[in-house]
Formats: sequence, C-alpha cells, structure tokens
Amino acid sequence: MRLKLDSRAPVYVQVIRYFKEQIASGALEKGKEIPSRRELANTLKINPNTVQRAYKEMEELGLINTEGNLPSKVTKDDVIIRQVREGLLTEAIDTFVTSVQALQIPLEEVIPLLKESYEKERESGGI
Amino acid sequence: MIEVKDITKSFGRKKVLTGVSFTASKGEITCLIGVNGVGKTTVLNAIMGLTSTNSGEILIDGKKINKESYEKITFIPDTITMLPTMRIHDAFEFMNDFYQSWNEERAKELLTFFRLQGHERISDLSKGNKAKVNLLLGLALDVDYVLMDEPFSGIDIFSREQIADVFTSHLIEDRGVIITTHEIKDIEHLIDKVVLLDNGIILKEFNAEQVREEQGKSIIDVMREVFRT
Repeated sequence: MRLKLDSRAPVYVQVIRYFKEQIASGALEKGKEIPSRRELANTLKINPNTVQRAYKEMEELGLINTEGNLPSKVTKDDVIIRQVREGLLTEAIDTFVTSVQALQIPLEEVIPLLKESYEKERESGGI
Repeated sequence: MIEVKDITKSFGRKKVLTGVSFTASKGEITCLIGVNGVGKTTVLNAIMGLTSTNSGEILIDGKKINKESYEKITFIPDTITMLPTMRIHDAFEFMNDFYQSWNEERAKELLTFFRLQGHERISDLSKGNKAKVNLLLGLALDVDYVLMDEPFSGIDIFSREQIADVFTSHLIEDRGVIITTHEIKDIEHLIDKVVLLDNGIILKEFNAEQVREEQGKSIIDVMREVFRT
C-alpha cells in the first residue's frame, strides 16, 4: 500500500480518497478485510488518530463495516460501490472538462485525442 | 492533560520564557517547535519541576506536580544519561531499581523493535543506536505522559525513521507525548498539535489536521508565516 501524501491537504481526506479509489477499481474487493487502524498508521507513517477519523467517516459513508472487535471490512453493498465509482468519475471528468474548456477546444477535437491517449495509457499498463 | 499556564522564567536578567501557555492531551502528540535558541528544553524542565518558574502554573491532570503526578510523567533528555561503560541490560537493571513504573516486558519489546541486543555496551553503540536506547529507557516506563527533548536531532535518517515508527506503534498507546524539535520533516503527518515557540514566546498553537483542512496549509507553511514575520 502506497500513498503519496500532500502536506497541504487533510490526511484523513487523503486516506478516504485512497480507499474509495481502491474500492472503485476493485483492487479492494467487496467484503474484504482492511488493515487495522494501527497497521495502516504504521504503513503510511501517519497519526493513528487521523486513521481513526478516516475509518469513522468511511463507516458513516457505509464504505466499510465493523462488527464488534472484528477487523473492518469493505462494504458488500453494490449500490454504495457504484456510487463511489460514479462520484470519482464525475469528479475526474469535471476537472478534465474545466481545463479543456479553458483552452476553448471543441468537444469533437477532444474526443479522438482522448481515445488515443487512453489507449496509449492502457498499453503502457497505466490503466 | 498537561496545562502550561502563563509561565515566565528568567535566568538572571535574561528572560527565557514569557507568558508561555499551551496544553497537551493524552492520546495526542504535541510538537514544540522553535527554530532557534532557548526555551523548548526549559519548558520541558519546568513541566517536570526540574526548574523553577518565576510566575504561572503547570497542571498535570488538573493538579500541580506532586509526588503522585511525578510518577505519571517521564522526561527523555536529548542525550543518554547512563554510564558509557554500562551494557544495555545493566541500564535496564538500573532503571528497574530506580523507577517503580519500569516495565521490563515493554523494555524487551522495545529492544526487539529497535533491533538491539541487551549485551551491547553503550559506549560501543552508534549515535543513532544510543538515541534509540535513550528513548527506549523512557518509553519502557508505565507513565501517562512522555516528554522527549529533540529525539531526532543529530542522528541518521534510518534511525530517525525507526524512531518515528514508534509513534504509530502500540508502544505509545494512549499516552500523551510532547516532543521538542526544530525539524519536522520526518514527523509532519504524525503529530496532532503544533506549538510554535520563538525566543521564549508562544507565537502560535494549532491542530495540524485542522490547518490543513480549513486553510489548505502545511505545517511548514504556517511556520514560514509565523517565523518570518
């Protein structure tokens, strides 16, 4: 598990985002156990209180479930997983559209370039 | 909670601390940062009652330091205070004789954690390993609060990393930690609270996550603003 931290953004938000990406991409399968709070703090070299906060929030968002003293697990709820995926996708597209629109480039010109770039990334193993 | 309330300290005519106030909670890591000069160590000494103050008060869990609360805190100085001829296990014995709160099991666990051997002689250890033994002796005490004076100062990067690992381990548990440092790079994401001290005056006290969340600033950004003006 690797996470490059931005020192200007709240760490708990970055941890949640990391889990969302892992869940959306399927790298973290539904129902799978996630590291304990202390394990994660140790792996990422971050404050255990921060991890606690991230886990609490993920719990509230329904991303993870914890029963009693057992390790937390990724949700099995497909609706939630789909929402996470859609949320991340919308966010990525918004960012993309904003920067492309700022350049005043028409959509017709963008689409083939987008396809080309996407294929290239896939071939190089990026996607 | 440790509450430092408006303490002032002078050595002769020289004012070392002026109206210093801050709090440090249990289960949190509070970092006392000062770029230069005196003050940080004096604050820790004052909390321990090792140095008298001219005014103000310090409360540990709501009470002035007394024999009982003294047992709840330990101060880890920036250099090891054991005799160089001692082996690590001799130092353990010494601590055991001297401190009621000495926890031999935790000491052994820390020894493994730092990959050190009990038979090693302190004088033969590298600077980094000496720093680890120094820290270990303090952390092996069953206390609620740990004060560490410059635990990262003057040692190699791998030792620093190993020491930073202690903070995310169960070896710190729910204790309250106060660290003094002038360099926060290694521990930026580990600390809860930051207290900026310059020339004996507290310039700012803030929660690191809160500043990141509400102002989009890193600890270093805030330090730059505060210390440069």
